Amino acid sequence: MVNLYFEPFIIPFCIGVVFLFSVMWTKFISWISALPKSDRRMIRRNIFSSATLMALWEAFRECLLHLRIMRVNGRLWYMHTSLAFGWFLLIVFGKVEAILYLKSPVVPIYVDVFFRKYFPFAHIGWLGVVMDALLLFVLSGLTAAIIKRFRPSVYGMKRTTTHTLGDKLALSTLWFIFPLRLLAESFNSAIYDSGSFLTGSLGVVLAAIFPSKALPYINETMWWCYSIALGLFFVSVPVSRYLHIFAEIPLVFLRSFKVRTSVRATTFTKLQLAACSRCGICIDPCQLAANEISCDTQSVYLLRDEREGGASLAKADSCLLCGRCERMCPVGIKLDTIRTSVRHNRRKDTSTFDYGYIASADVTLPSAKTGFFSGCMGRLTPSVQASMKKIADKSGIAIWFIDQEEGICCGRPQRMAGNIDAADSMRERIEEMVVESGITTLVTSCPICLRTFTEDYNLGDIRIIHHSQFIAELMEQGLLDVEHTEAGFAYHDPCELGRGLKIYDQPRQVIARLGQLHEPAHHRDNALCCGGSLAHMGLELDKRVMIASSVSRELEQTGADCIVTSCPLCKKMLAKSSNLRVADIAEAVSEHI
Amino acid sequence: MMKKFGFTINAKRAIDLDINDRSIARQVAARVPSWSLCIGCGGCSATCTAGALTDYNFRKLHLLARRGETSALRKQLNNCMLCGKCTLQCPRGVNTRGVIAALMELLPGE
Repeated sequence: MVNLYFEPFIIPFCIGVVFLFSVMWTKFISWISALPKSDRRMIRRNIFSSATLMALWEAFRECLLHLRIMRVNGRLWYMHTSLAFGWFLLIVFGKVEAILYLKSPVVPIYVDVFFRKYFPFAHIGWLGVVMDALLLFVLSGLTAAIIKRFRPSVYGMKRTTTHTLGDKLALSTLWFIFPLRLLAESFNSAIYDSGSFLTGSLGVVLAAIFPSKALPYINETMWWCYSIALGLFFVSVPVSRYLHIFAEIPLVFLRSFKVRTSVRATTFTKLQLAACSRCGICIDPCQLAANEISCDTQSVYLLRDEREGGASLAKADSCLLCGRCERMCPVGIKLDTIRTSVRHNRRKDTSTFDYGYIASADVTLPSAKTGFFSGCMGRLTPSVQASMKKIADKSGIAIWFIDQEEGICCGRPQRMAGNIDAADSMRERIEEMVVESGITTLVTSCPICLRTFTEDYNLGDIRIIHHSQFIAELMEQGLLDVEHTEAGFAYHDPCELGRGLKIYDQPRQVIARLGQLHEPAHHRDNALCCGGSLAHMGLELDKRVMIASSVSRELEQTGADCIVTSCPLCKKMLAKSSNLRVADIAEAVSEHI
Repeated sequence: MMKKFGFTINAKRAIDLDINDRSIARQVAARVPSWSLCIGCGGCSATCTAGALTDYNFRKLHLLARRGETSALRKQLNNCMLCGKCTLQCPRGVNTRGVIAALMELLPGE
């Protein structure tokens, strides 16, 4: 006969565990089975490969040790890791203790959770010390969590996330779990004179304070309370942010199997929403929060609203899609794509478009093998195109200026607004035009166009590069000589070029040939957005200039003579707010020829 | 026989402000406050690619919205590529792109 070790006080705990795991598994299995065919094929292809091992390693690193948080914020990392890894070790060593004591590999889960209650005299010396040390580790993390809630500044955070009702319930019960465990185990020690350095010592104190007759009753109550706290926490997990503890694991695996986040939301998007821990790390990097333009539209709030029934279009629209938060997200959630998918879902009835006219844009086919696409923003900065002409003439390269007379949009603004079909109709037209022209290299001065050409277009073998890369290559090949001067240039990384396409080095190489390169405080993948982003629909000009001013001040503080950027939109925005001259990289080069 | 003076050549062009839905303009104005700064200079229309290739033009859009001519407005909106050139060149800092996005949202297509 198998001993089930049933005691009434385990009931709340057991109800919680059964509820949690049945809800969670139903969710996860239904999401994974509802993935699009192509994604399921990727899972089947990769599940028996090194991808699984890699995912296992990543799950250990990120779900338990939270190494990505460590790189961002050491104190915050301690809080997360001591709670997650400490609790995990408590469970593991609790299991070990029960198995060793009972000399049976199969022990019901509640026996190891309430081990001290079941076997107060069981004492494996070193394990007792380990269990007490782990409990202390978790309690230190809990203290850190309480401090963070009331004093986020201790963690260098300006703002911390506001909570939903489910979150509050889960958070309160979570705060009670470990102090109750400490008390329950200590009362146990007070009665049976067991326990190690923590629970044993506290037990001695409790035994001195309370009359010995009362101790068994208090002890029983404490174990009941501990079980209820655990049960309540488990019940609140599926409706709170703590679902992330479990959702992050399948997320890591699916990502490793190359399941893609799509602008047309799939159940993989739902899994990512569930995997958001609402840690709030995405709030502070957001320039809309930093400039107090909007403080409730950051990714954490968008994902929260979306998980709880749907975020509003206004909230989804209120974002520069600069990618600063996505870069910081410790869970690696594709925040920008998810935001675009929310826009797509909310806008689907409003994106009727009729672009039949774009075929009439007159294009004369070229003899040149290199095409230059200014893009819409580029057409508003004709000096860039003129500079490119000068550079091309000087280097003896024939360039076809694709949209010199009239040009249509690359489609990225519509794509960012979530109007995917509209964007695709422009993409098809430009693809047809460019492929027909017979060029082998497509150069653009606009990082917005460059990103969509690279990510969304199918241009066959045509090489797609940014004009800063093009100029850097001309210099490298010795086709373009420039005069080196003493002038100082502060370089501003455009979001789409930097974080979007990871092009950081070539613009810097070009500037280093012209003069002294200065880096502002935020640069490369931490660069600030100029505020001009087309992704934000509702942002008024004064707010945009406010953002641009803070960026300009930083660039001015480098002591440079001129601000250089490689995006026409950044150039326009910075020029509106800076006392220094703002030049596109092509202009700066053409002036040094 | 009655003389024909040619008055029937053009389609009937009466704008009945009592029938037209002018609440659209009020809602857009509430969402995009800078709309009221427009001086009708036409810079937006001059820079617009859709405007160069069709009869689309932001000033017309503005007028249609104010008059509440929603069906004509909707047809116009279908031409916009949301590229944002109009907003960038606006000397008054009107968020023209925001106005168009708001109109698209308030006047969903069929």
